[in-house]
Amino acid sequence: MSPEVALNRISPELRPLLCSVVRNGRVGLDSTNCLRITDLKTGCTSLTPGPCCDRFKLHIPYAGETLKWDIIFNAQDPELPPDFIFGEDAEFLPEPSELPHLVQWDAEDPECLLQLVKELIQQYHQYQCHRLRESSRLLFEYDSLLEDPDYGRSLEIYAGHKNSWTGEFSARFLLKLPVDFSNIPVYLLKDTALDPGEDVALLFVSFEDAEATQVFPKLYLSPSIEHALGGSSALHIPAFPSGGCLIDYVPQVCQLLTNKVQYVIQGYHKRREYIAAFLSHFGMGVVEYDAEGFTKLTLLLMWKDFCVLVHVDLPLYFPRDQPTLTFQSVYHFTSSGQLYSQVQKSYPYSPRWDGNEMAKRAQPQPKIPNNRQ
Amino acid sequence: MAASISGYTFSSVCYHSANSNSDHEGFLLGEVRQEETISISDTQISSAELLQVVEVHNHEPCAQLFSFYNYAGLVNEENLNKILKERRKNVIGWYRFRRNTQQQMSFREQIIHKQLTQLLGVPDLVFLLFSFISTANNSTHALEYVLFRPSRSRYNQRVTLSIPNLGNTSQQEYKVSSVPNTSLNYAKVIKEHGAEFFDKDGVMKDIRTIFQVYSALQDKVQAVCGEVEQSERVKEKVQQEVNKLKQQIALRKQKNAEEERRILEAQNPEPLPTPEENTEPPETSLLSLVAFNTPSTPERPGPSANPPAYADLLSLQDNSLLPSSSSPTSAALLPRPQAVGSPGHPSPNPMGLGLGLSVGSSPAPSPSTPYLGNGDGSSSDSLDRQAAGQEDEDEDEDEDSSEYENLVSEVAQLPPVTINVLAQGRPASLSPDGDASARGSQT
Repeated sequence: MSPEVALNRISPELRPLLCSVVRNGRVGLDSTNCLRITDLKTGCTSLTPGPCCDRFKLHIPYAGETLKWDIIFNAQDPELPPDFIFGEDAEFLPEPSELPHLVQWDAEDPECLLQLVKELIQQYHQYQCHRLRESSRLLFEYDSLLEDPDYGRSLEIYAGHKNSWTGEFSARFLLKLPVDFSNIPVYLLKDTALDPGEDVALLFVSFEDAEATQVFPKLYLSPSIEHALGGSSALHIPAFPSGGCLIDYVPQVCQLLTNKVQYVIQGYHKRREYIAAFLSHFGMGVVEYDAEGFTKLTLLLMWKDFCVLVHVDLPLYFPRDQPTLTFQSVYHFTSSGQLYSQVQKSYPYSPRWDGNEMAKRAQPQPKIPNNRQ
Repeated sequence: MAASISGYTFSSVCYHSANSNSDHEGFLLGEVRQEETISISDTQISSAELLQVVEVHNHEPCAQLFSFYNYAGLVNEENLNKILKERRKNVIGWYRFRRNTQQQMSFREQIIHKQLTQLLGVPDLVFLLFSFISTANNSTHALEYVLFRPSRSRYNQRVTLSIPNLGNTSQQEYKVSSVPNTSLNYAKVIKEHGAEFFDKDGVMKDIRTIFQVYSALQDKVQAVCGEVEQSERVKEKVQQEVNKLKQQIALRKQKNAEEERRILEAQNPEPLPTPEENTEPPETSLLSLVAFNTPSTPERPGPSANPPAYADLLSLQDNSLLPSSSSPTSAALLPRPQAVGSPGHPSPNPMGLGLGLSVGSSPAPSPSTPYLGNGDGSSSDSLDRQAAGQEDEDEDEDEDSSEYENLVSEVAQLPPVTINVLAQGRPASLSPDGDASARGSQT
């Protein structure tokens, strides 16, 4: 159900409260997933003219799971605070005194419901951490992470019995990795107008048993970061070492990610340097170049009275990967109607050279086969 | 734990709830009692079962939400007392009605319930949740209700709530509710008009009258029993005299026969023919039979609904030529009770004969009835013997084989005349033609 549809069905007095939840509602670490509303129902008689829905299910992403809480208002008394049914967590009973936005419920404040939900999530987190006490191993993991200021503050835990029949205890940890993405050149990030959210990297670790013998980590990146780092295939995190613990593993992953980011940043600068060097060498012959991302450069060269276009494509992981040179003829067409072109990769190149050196050594020379003139 | 709510309380709660345009809540008043059931079975001496029964007699709706608690769910005792007033001690639970929600206690309901349990001092406070579910096109609405007992463990919380007489009363008894009637008007009317139906002890007058009739009948029956006993004794005496006389007759006959034989022997010193010898045993057997045989029909009313009248049987007895009219008492007409309903067996005669046995004031007649069956209730043998008529069995043989002194086969040894008489008297016919009237009365 799209948020707008939901808002239209809600009773008018409750609409502002839900607006902030649906449009701006970001709760928890996984802020890329908005809060969702489904199952709108009404508490009024069926003869009441709509829209009069005042109770719904709120989907809240938390620690890799989605909590489905029922929120019950009364359309006839919109100034009253709502009631909650916490889905399957029938034993979760927060202390009302810990929920200031419930005790001082203000129906006039559109943010009130969102704040109340945030407070409830905090209480829920406490409740889950308390449940970790069933497994000393996992409790140790949690405590060790809590002590570290880097990770302890942004941690979401979901603990419980995976299966009420077998009683297997499992837990899920969601950590926000403290990696600095601010230096990534803006152009690399996906179109920021579409995804104005925060750039985050989340590490999701799933413990399938209480003794931490089956551990499955996963890394979640916000879409722009993922794109900047070269897509989902580019980043592989190491498997969780058996017998290891999170306090050792998480910094490892962090480091890996940081290195990657650094590499990408450096790559950008390197490309800039490269293009600059080419520009200075072939200044008059430059047709066009990518001035934002420095990924492409096109030159028009003369070689023995023969004019040829040279396209230089710089890969993302330049300078590790060698740029490709594509020679394109200005005179001839191929049988398919395209300009005749030839790709050349085998030219002197080393990633350790600086831009100038590369420009000098490259000396793009087309190899013209004998049967074509 | 079992719970019940009277039909009118339930409908009243539903009425209040359905007419509210938002959630609705209130209190349930009633009583809780413990029922102990002690059952005795073959496997164990006794087992006691304790059952807690919650009965809802009435309800107290709250006019609005949050009337006795605040936003944080904190219960205000003052407001609570204002709502409940003097009925506070009758509170056994509370209820809540909400539309289109899950059948689960909500966050605030749990908090309030805990506080109410403490404030009202009811450890097993119940919570009745009504939820009203409507389909999307409003074509079907369902009112669901669940009774919770939140003080128990999580998996044992729901209690079945029964509404007496809501169901198929043609198969069950109509149950009278134990809800105390607190209506003042009702009490007034009953007081005014009650004297017409109840006497000073509070017992209905009709009951006393009926009881008096019953007592009078009992007295009469007792009196009749006495009379019957008397007549039985007289009859017994008469019977004895008759027997004595018969014996004398027989003796005299014997003497005459001996004398004649002596005379004959004196005239004719030839050996007597064997047939004579053979006739003797039957005669002696006849004599010996005197004490045992019964004159009348072995009573076998069979499937007939109308057993012979007592008078008919008596007359039959008088008419019989048999020496075997020596049944000590009229109990000869009373068959020994056998498996009732088995064919061919003498089933107890409910009418006059039954009186002799059931009243009990007279000594029970000795059971020398002609027992016509085997001990196990099968009747084939007796039937065969009857139908066959005379048998050539020896008396000795029979005595050896039968387990009972009432000698079936000896009845069969009677001359054919007697058997016909027997057959006449028997209401249930064994012959194919049968007695038409008896047959007719069977349907």
